[in-house]
Amino acid sequence: MKLGNLIISGIVTGSIYAAFAACVALWYRVSNILNLAVGDFAMIGALGVDNLVRVHHWKLAPAIAATLGAVSLGAYLYDRIVLSLAQDGRTRQEGIVVTFFFTFALSFFLEGIAELLYGTDVHAAPAIWNGQSLSLGGGLHVDRAGVLVVAFAALVGVASVLVLRGTLQGKAVEACGENFFGARIVGIDNRKYRRLLFILSALLACVFGILESPITGYTYDSGAAISLTGFIAAAFAGFQKPGKAVVAGLSIGIIEALLGGYVSANYADTILYALLAAAVLIRPGAMGLDIVPE
Amino acid sequence: MSGRRRWLGTDRGPLLSTAFVLVAGLIIAGGSANSYFGSVVILALTYAIVTAGMAVQIGFSQQVVFSQSVFMGLGAYGVAVLNGKVGWPSLLALVVITIASGGVAWVIGKAVSGASGLALAVATLMFPLIAFGYLSYANWLGGSIGLPLTGTLWPGGSATANGILTVVIVAAVVFATTRLVASDIGLEMYTLGVSENTAQAMGVRTSRRRLELFILGSVLATLGGAVYAGTQLFVPPTLVQATAELSLLIMLFVGGRRSVLGAVLGAVGIQYFTGISNTISVHILLIEGVLITVVLLIEPDGVAGIVSSLWRRAAPRLPFAELVATDAAYVPTPGLGQGEEAGISGELAVAEETQTSAFRRHFAARRADEAAATTTLLEVRGVAKEYGGLVVLRDIDLTLPERGIFGLCGPNGAGKSTLLGIVGGSIRPSAGTVILAGEDITALPAAERFDRGVSRTFQAVRLIRGRTVLDNVAVACLRSQRSSLLRGIVISRLPRARADAMEALEYLGLGELAHREVGSLTLETQRMVELARAMASRPSLLLLDEPASGLSEIQRERLRELLRAIGEVTCVLLVEHDLDLIAAIAERILVLESGALVFTGTGEEFRSSELVNSLLIGASPTTTPGGEQ
Repeated sequence: MKLGNLIISGIVTGSIYAAFAACVALWYRVSNILNLAVGDFAMIGALGVDNLVRVHHWKLAPAIAATLGAVSLGAYLYDRIVLSLAQDGRTRQEGIVVTFFFTFALSFFLEGIAELLYGTDVHAAPAIWNGQSLSLGGGLHVDRAGVLVVAFAALVGVASVLVLRGTLQGKAVEACGENFFGARIVGIDNRKYRRLLFILSALLACVFGILESPITGYTYDSGAAISLTGFIAAAFAGFQKPGKAVVAGLSIGIIEALLGGYVSANYADTILYALLAAAVLIRPGAMGLDIVPE
Repeated sequence: MSGRRRWLGTDRGPLLSTAFVLVAGLIIAGGSANSYFGSVVILALTYAIVTAGMAVQIGFSQQVVFSQSVFMGLGAYGVAVLNGKVGWPSLLALVVITIASGGVAWVIGKAVSGASGLALAVATLMFPLIAFGYLSYANWLGGSIGLPLTGTLWPGGSATANGILTVVIVAAVVFATTRLVASDIGLEMYTLGVSENTAQAMGVRTSRRRLELFILGSVLATLGGAVYAGTQLFVPPTLVQATAELSLLIMLFVGGRRSVLGAVLGAVGIQYFTGISNTISVHILLIEGVLITVVLLIEPDGVAGIVSSLWRRAAPRLPFAELVATDAAYVPTPGLGQGEEAGISGELAVAEETQTSAFRRHFAARRADEAAATTTLLEVRGVAKEYGGLVVLRDIDLTLPERGIFGLCGPNGAGKSTLLGIVGGSIRPSAGTVILAGEDITALPAAERFDRGVSRTFQAVRLIRGRTVLDNVAVACLRSQRSSLLRGIVISRLPRARADAMEALEYLGLGELAHREVGSLTLETQRMVELARAMASRPSLLLLDEPASGLSEIQRERLRELLRAIGEVTCVLLVEHDLDLIAAIAERILVLESGALVFTGTGEEFRSSELVNSLLIGASPTTTPGGEQ
């Protein structure tokens, strides 16, 4: 029973990791940049909505709309100002420094903003689907927020597979990842997809943050760890196979929940990160991390 | 006298940087260690020890890691435990923990030394989370509060004494790291950072250097942490947080990530401003996030980069302005074949060359060696290569003597570059053996084949951006494969390698360009520099991958003369699409088609062959009947 409930809560967190893994992987293929700020967008979503509702007494729906609008505007401006300057100029900045440091800085910038606007306490967006946790029989329970998270993750997953497999736009995104300059030569505007996918990732992350926060709560610095875990899940899939990324994300979520339930509540995250770091160090080839960003 | 000169080297940079840090640091530490200003500077200097290592590791050699704050924590907590709990003097604890950290870094680095930089970066991104997560609940280490120390670094010393000791340690670190960066090992590390493949083709043992770099950066971070503990007397867990890592990176990037002195000044500057202003320290995340982005966008080399570009702009007005002249009207004049053109007899030429250079002597001796044209150098036996089910090469047999030019042609996808890669060591064959001078080298990696005289150029020019022509060629003359990184700090062999490189450049008529940055050269000149680099190691086997591609008709003619002369002293395996060029200079021409060797013959036979005509028709005008004689 305890095991079953832990697995359920693991699936909820895991589906977020899985979705983030897909976002990180897809955008890495288009831009050669790892989005280390994706978790911070989730944090902004949760704390932003909470702040508007709790402090400014907005209704929930306009608060969510305003937060999503602000995040997409922010993501658009970031792409237009920072990423354009970095990649679209006469000399395209490349290499491992670019791969990591732009979004590393963005992540801390967002944390700084959140600290300034929302303080350092734990908060959560109001629950969208109110009520007791749902009973699945046999003593198993699932939070209503958890159901929403998993449902949204499944929806996003199905939609992205349909778009990538079935549309010309999807093929173009794949082509960008395959060969940046090749895609450009045949008339695919990488910049457009870079911007589009970046804004989309930010929005998706934001929605996940809003949906999930009633379960765990967020602080201004919750984002980095989520981004990192999502990224590791993406790496397990070698940045190529969305299906494997989903499995990896779910497994990581479940392992995290089990560690928290059976080993140590205090050290669950720490042990998880240690396991992941060890996996990366010992089997980098199995994780698509032996490829060098060109 | 000459011994001392060799030890200190001719490069004054390291000495000047060290002297500057020592003098400026001692003035501040000696004068105002007890003031708030002095204490901020001393705290900043503990970070400077860490950022100096980061400049070498992350900036200069492009090994991206996020574990510095964790190793800093190792040093700080290590000293705090050994001093506060065990009762050792802080200074002894510092020495012990710094040495021990080398072992820790070795274990971690060893695990990842076979993989790419991406894996190391990703794994170390998690280190701050792991360390902070552990420390926050580790009661024996003070939990979320931290650990106190009982004794300062200098036993019973005043703030001034500890400040002076800190300054001396920083100066020693600056001296060691600046010397390392300026040494031959530094050049290896820089090349490794720009391109792993190029470094391997130049004989650099890349996984060893990567491991050493990781250890160096980690040990210096530990030392910084140990000094932090010994001067601040309290170690909080926030020292290892991801935000602490960000702060270190900010110091590095703002100061100048490729410059040790820049990184030190960045640490002092950033720490100073956060120390004196409450507004800055409250909004530190916001400010640091913006700052790192702005630096990345505007001046990737930070303040050090701004200073050096100002200097470069000012330099033309200074007395040595000729060093920065342009090469717009440059025409390479190969010196290699000049002896023959002038009709100088072999003996006379040798006598002349004895006076000029060892490089020329080496090639003169090879040219005079009568047996070389017939002695077997390279043997390829039954080599095949397949990727999955796709057969790229099948059952290739090939024997080349010690001298002469051998052409390799074929349609696109015939397997030419794969065969070149198999001989060069960058590609492992699925079957067959490669024998060089009687030794089976099939299993040897590219770097070890380089030691045995195999040298190559690349289809797309691979020069080391940001370095001079001279250094690009010197990479091939280092012979430091067996040296440890520490030797680079003590003695630099770079001057000798540069002297050798200069000979190779002059040999190819490129001497005037030695001090130009390679990015400013034309494609032809870049190809010539790459050729000089391949020749500089005095190879016995030279592998050239389409050296003429992208060159104009006149440039090709010059290249042809040059290759002809090179073919008289060494064995050249030349992949080329220009059939004209190949038919004119190659002694024997091999044609690959769908992975099989379908034709072998002289230039004459090549021109008149029906098979070659039908295979390569349209690829070059010379394959028309008019080319026959």
